[in-house]
Amino acid sequence: MKKQITKLNVLTILFIVLLAVPFASSLGITPGRTVIDYESGLEKDISFSVLNNEKKNMKVLLTVSGDLNESITLYDNLIEFKPGDESKSFKYKIKLPDSLSNKPGLHTADIVALEVPEANAEGAFVGATVAVVSQVHVNVPCAGKCIDAELDVLDAQSNGSASFIVTVINRGKLGIGDVRAVIDIYTPLNEKVKTIETDYRSLEAGKSTALTGKWKVEVPSGNYLAKVTVFYDGESQSFEKQFVVGDEILSIESILVNNFRLGEIAKLQILVENKWNKDLKSVFANLIVYNEDNQVMTDIKSASEDIPSLTKKELIAYWDTVGVNVGEYSGKLMVRYDGKSTDKNLVLKVNEDSLDVFGVGYAVRPQGTKGVNITFILIVLVVILLVVNLAWFIFFRRMMGKKK
Amino acid sequence: MKNKKIKHLHIILAQALFLIITFSFVFVFYPRTDVSISGNFVKFDSVNSDIIIISENSDFSNPSYIDLKKLNNISFSLKPGSYYWKPSNGIIEGFTNKFIIKSEVGLGIERDENTSLVNIGNVKVNVTKNKEGVMVGRIILEPEESEKIEDKGEYTARQEN
Repeated sequence: MKKQITKLNVLTILFIVLLAVPFASSLGITPGRTVIDYESGLEKDISFSVLNNEKKNMKVLLTVSGDLNESITLYDNLIEFKPGDESKSFKYKIKLPDSLSNKPGLHTADIVALEVPEANAEGAFVGATVAVVSQVHVNVPCAGKCIDAELDVLDAQSNGSASFIVTVINRGKLGIGDVRAVIDIYTPLNEKVKTIETDYRSLEAGKSTALTGKWKVEVPSGNYLAKVTVFYDGESQSFEKQFVVGDEILSIESILVNNFRLGEIAKLQILVENKWNKDLKSVFANLIVYNEDNQVMTDIKSASEDIPSLTKKELIAYWDTVGVNVGEYSGKLMVRYDGKSTDKNLVLKVNEDSLDVFGVGYAVRPQGTKGVNITFILIVLVVILLVVNLAWFIFFRRMMGKKK
Repeated sequence: MKNKKIKHLHIILAQALFLIITFSFVFVFYPRTDVSISGNFVKFDSVNSDIIIISENSDFSNPSYIDLKKLNNISFSLKPGSYYWKPSNGIIEGFTNKFIIKSEVGLGIERDENTSLVNIGNVKVNVTKNKEGVMVGRIILEPEESEKIEDKGEYTARQEN
């Protein structure tokens, strides 16, 4: 259970590894971040995985850095991958000191996985090396009311309606009665374009909430700056975020594949939306599917269609799956219009009786129809039974009383 | 006395019948939905759900709605994080479930005519370049984004906020 290895050991390991001249390096780690809410005396093991994306022989060195590095113990320091190892899982122990409670705020540590560089025949290291980090974030609550906030801007397109989502996390030990945000939008020349106010909510200690504001985008495409002020129970916190107002003309909404059978001709229904304020002529979809060797296996095109302004239309393409084997294939869907193209990278999972298309965005839409919540049904059921039994009990008590 | 017992029995039977009818109704109309997760792709499979309500918050503030009638067989990608979801079919709204999309920090170096650094993970990364232990540069890369680099030094990728 060594915690960290010394510089001398690192150098020794590096010089031991003498392999051929490198062609490519790659390394992955998951999760990229583990967030922990501080608890006094907390001690636990946390899992993470190192990914051998290239499925090659590789040595990886694990180290810890950051202000919490003394609180973390690695169980492994040097790990070895063989070509068959796609990933390996490991653990580290985190033991939070009691003294941390006096230091509210964010405390971090980095679990660093470094691909041990390969050396050439002369023993010299050639080329750049990569390292990836799994971060540990420990949030220590403040005594009173304090927050963390961030902004996401969705659907910021010219002549569209953008949504501003301010996610607020209550990092304090006390609940917040009223939290809301005001967002001022500025051009790159620092001219204020619009002020947006979000809705307001209450927020329990340690919980998060999303405040929403809408903006009818009536500005040209480009970069803008959002200055956000979050007000909470008489206090406030400000931050800024740059965002882009885009001008997407055509978007790929979804791909439907119904009644798929391997070996037959599959009908792909590709739903596209013309977001431009002008009709688009001769729009067609081009789907390219690659085999395991990354060679083009299928190249199909849909018929051309005219898509009126601000409408959705389905483009139909047919894929003859004779000779296609069950498996996962990468692909690219291009919807071509006006000499331009909207592209999406896809993964197509082919089974005997289904074709799953991964990678196309999903439609998000508000829906009016809502069912009755199952919890509500069960509560009503319990209440009805309670009332019936209570009525029954009272009725028979009275009957007994009358008889006496 | 016998009459009273029969009355009691009737009430108990009525309640049992009521429970059977209610649970049968719930059993038939409950929106049964499975979720499968592969990387950061999510797919919902359901026989009798029309809509999936999904949110990053357990109180379903700021929810998104997935229309399963129109988006059957579709997988979609979500950014890493925790998600709460419940199915609905217009009659019953199901129990709340949760899934987690794990963030993956991945960095690759491609060497052909030039040397490029590629973000092969599923999150935006902040890459620092170190030479002899000193930070000498910084690159921000979106997933699948690449940037030409000098083929020297150590590049360390961290998940960007």
